[in-house]
Amino acid sequence: MAMEKVDLTRVKPYGDTLNDGMMQLSFTLPVPHGDEADEAARRLVKKMGLEDPNVVYSCDLGVGYTYFIVYGKCQHTVDYTKIEVPKVDVEIMDKYEVEEYIKENIKRNVVVVGACTGTDAHTVGIDAIMNMKGYNGNYGLERYKGIEAYNLGSQVPNEELVAKAIELNADAILVSQVVTQKDVHIPNLTQLVELLEAEGIRDKVVLVCGGPRISHELAKELGYDAGFGSGTYAYHVASFIVTEMVRRGLV
Amino acid sequence: MNLIDIIYKKYKTVSIVGMAKNAGKTVTLNKLIEDAYDRDIILGITSIGRDGESKDIVTNTEKPMIYVPEGSFVATLAEKLDEGDAKLEIIRVTEYKTPMGEVVVGRVRCGGYLQIAGPQTNRGIKEISDFMLSLGAEIVLIDGAIDRLSSASPSVSEGTILATGAVISRDMNRVIEDTVHTVRLFSLESIIDINDKTVVKEIMEKEKIGIVDTFLNIQYLDIKTAINSGKVIGSEIKEYTKYVVFPGALVGKTLIDIISTTRLFKQVEFIVRDGTKIFISPKEWLKLVKMGVKVKVLEPINTLAVTVNPYSPQGYYFDSFEFLKKMRIFIKDIPVFDVMLGDE
Repeated sequence: MAMEKVDLTRVKPYGDTLNDGMMQLSFTLPVPHGDEADEAARRLVKKMGLEDPNVVYSCDLGVGYTYFIVYGKCQHTVDYTKIEVPKVDVEIMDKYEVEEYIKENIKRNVVVVGACTGTDAHTVGIDAIMNMKGYNGNYGLERYKGIEAYNLGSQVPNEELVAKAIELNADAILVSQVVTQKDVHIPNLTQLVELLEAEGIRDKVVLVCGGPRISHELAKELGYDAGFGSGTYAYHVASFIVTEMVRRGLV
Repeated sequence: MNLIDIIYKKYKTVSIVGMAKNAGKTVTLNKLIEDAYDRDIILGITSIGRDGESKDIVTNTEKPMIYVPEGSFVATLAEKLDEGDAKLEIIRVTEYKTPMGEVVVGRVRCGGYLQIAGPQTNRGIKEISDFMLSLGAEIVLIDGAIDRLSSASPSVSEGTILATGAVISRDMNRVIEDTVHTVRLFSLESIIDINDKTVVKEIMEKEKIGIVDTFLNIQYLDIKTAINSGKVIGSEIKEYTKYVVFPGALVGKTLIDIISTTRLFKQVEFIVRDGTKIFISPKEWLKLVKMGVKVKVLEPINTLAVTVNPYSPQGYYFDSFEFLKKMRIFIKDIPVFDVMLGDE
C-alpha cells in the first residue's frame, strides 16, 4: 500500500485517514446534563465550522453543568510552507559552554536580576530558569559559574526591580509573566521598559521576558531584547544573555 | 485644519504615541502619510514597535495596513521586506538588532504596503530618525508601540501626537480622565529662568540627583536612583532648597516618601527632564498636587494633537460625536481629532 503524500501547502487534521479533518474538542457548558445539552454542544461545534459534529461523551458535572467530548471534521487548511516563527537566533550553548564563554569573552561575573512582576504570584517560570536546581534536569542560572543570579521572587513592583537592577549594576533583567488574563501582562511589561528608558539604563542592560504567552514577536513590540515561551531552559536564556552582551559591547 | 498642516515646516520629527493598544495609532499614521503624499512632502517612517501587520498578535484583531508612497524613506526589518509589496532600495543595514531581525533603512522605489518595525529603544529610534532626515526626509514619523509613551520625549521627537480611545475603558469618563492626565504631564510647565535652567541642565547631564538652593548651589546626593530613596531625598531638603532635580524617573512612591519626611516640600519645585519621566497614576497625581507638590520640567513636550478612536476591539463603542465633543471640552489648548470623521 503506497503512503499518500502529505501536501504541506494544505495541511488538515488527521484522524483515521489523511486529510479526513477529524478533530476532538472538549469543553463545558453551563446547562444540565441531558439530550438537550448534547444537542446544544453539537450545534455549538457546528457553528464553529466543524462538519458532522458528533457528541461522543458527555458527563454531568453537578450544579447544572455538563462536560462534553465532541468530534467534528475541520474544513480548513493551513499552508505549512509559509509559516515563519521568529526564534532567538543565537547559537545555543550548554551550561559548561556558557561558563567557558563568560571566562573567555566577558572575563567577569555577569549579574542577572530576575522577578515575576506586577500582580503575578506564579514563580514557576522564573524559578525554573534561575534557581539552583533548575528544571527537568537543567540547572538554573544560580548554579552557573560566572553568573551572579538574583531571583527577587513574585509580585515584585516594576519600580523595585529597576531599583534593584541599578543597585546591583545588573547586566541582564529577566521578567516572568505567567498570569495573562485580560492581557494584564502587556501594560506591566511595557511599564518596565518605560521605567528603564526614563532611568537611562535601557541601553545598558539585556532585557528579557518569558512566559507561556510570550514570543519573540511580542518581545519586539514590547521593546524587549528577547522573549522566551514554554520549553525554555536556563541554558537558552544564558546563551542569549552572554552573546547579546558581547554583541552590544556591554562587557 | 489638517493634521499634517500642524506639523509641516515646524517639526521635523514627530512621534505618534498611544494610551493603549488599539487606541488608533496606525489610523493616525496612515492619515499623516496620506496627507503628506497629497502635498508632496517626503516622509521618513519608522516604528519603535511594529506596525502594518495584518493581524494584531495580542488581541487578534484586524489591523490597518501601512501604505508607503514612492520617494519616502523607511526604517524597518530586513525580514519583513518580502512580506509587503512595496519595493525598496536599501541604503544602510544598521547595527540595530531586534528580536525579529536587523533594521535596514531604505528608499521606497515603488509604493506599496509594508510592515514597519524599527529599533525598539529610544536611542536607536533617535539615531535612525536623524539619519533619515540627513537623507532628505522632510518629516520623520515615529510610530509608537502599545502604550509606550517614552518616544514622546523631546530627546527623541520634536513633537508628538497622542492617540487615545474607547479601548481604555467602557466608561467614557475614565477614558477622558486618563487622557487628560497624560496630556497634563506632557504639558507641565518648564523652567523659564535662564540661570536656573543652566544649573538644572548641568545636574541632568551628570545623571545624579541634585538639590539646588536659592543661591543656585548644587548638592549632589550619593544615591544611584530616586526610586526607593524618597526618605533620603526628603531629609536633604533644607530651608533654602529651591529645586530637587531628578535626572531619571519620578515615581509616586518617591514623592510620597519625600512629603512624609519633610514639611518643606511645599516651597520646593521638583524637576524632571520631561513628562515621560513621570510614573504616577491620575488619582495619585491629583492628590499630590492638592497637597502642594509642584513638579516642573526641563523640556516641555510639544503635544501637537490628540486623536480619538471611539471603537474598542472588545466590541463596544462610544458615539463618535459625543466622545469627540466631550474630549474637546476637557482638552482645550490642543486640537482633538477623530481621524475617521475627517478634518472637522
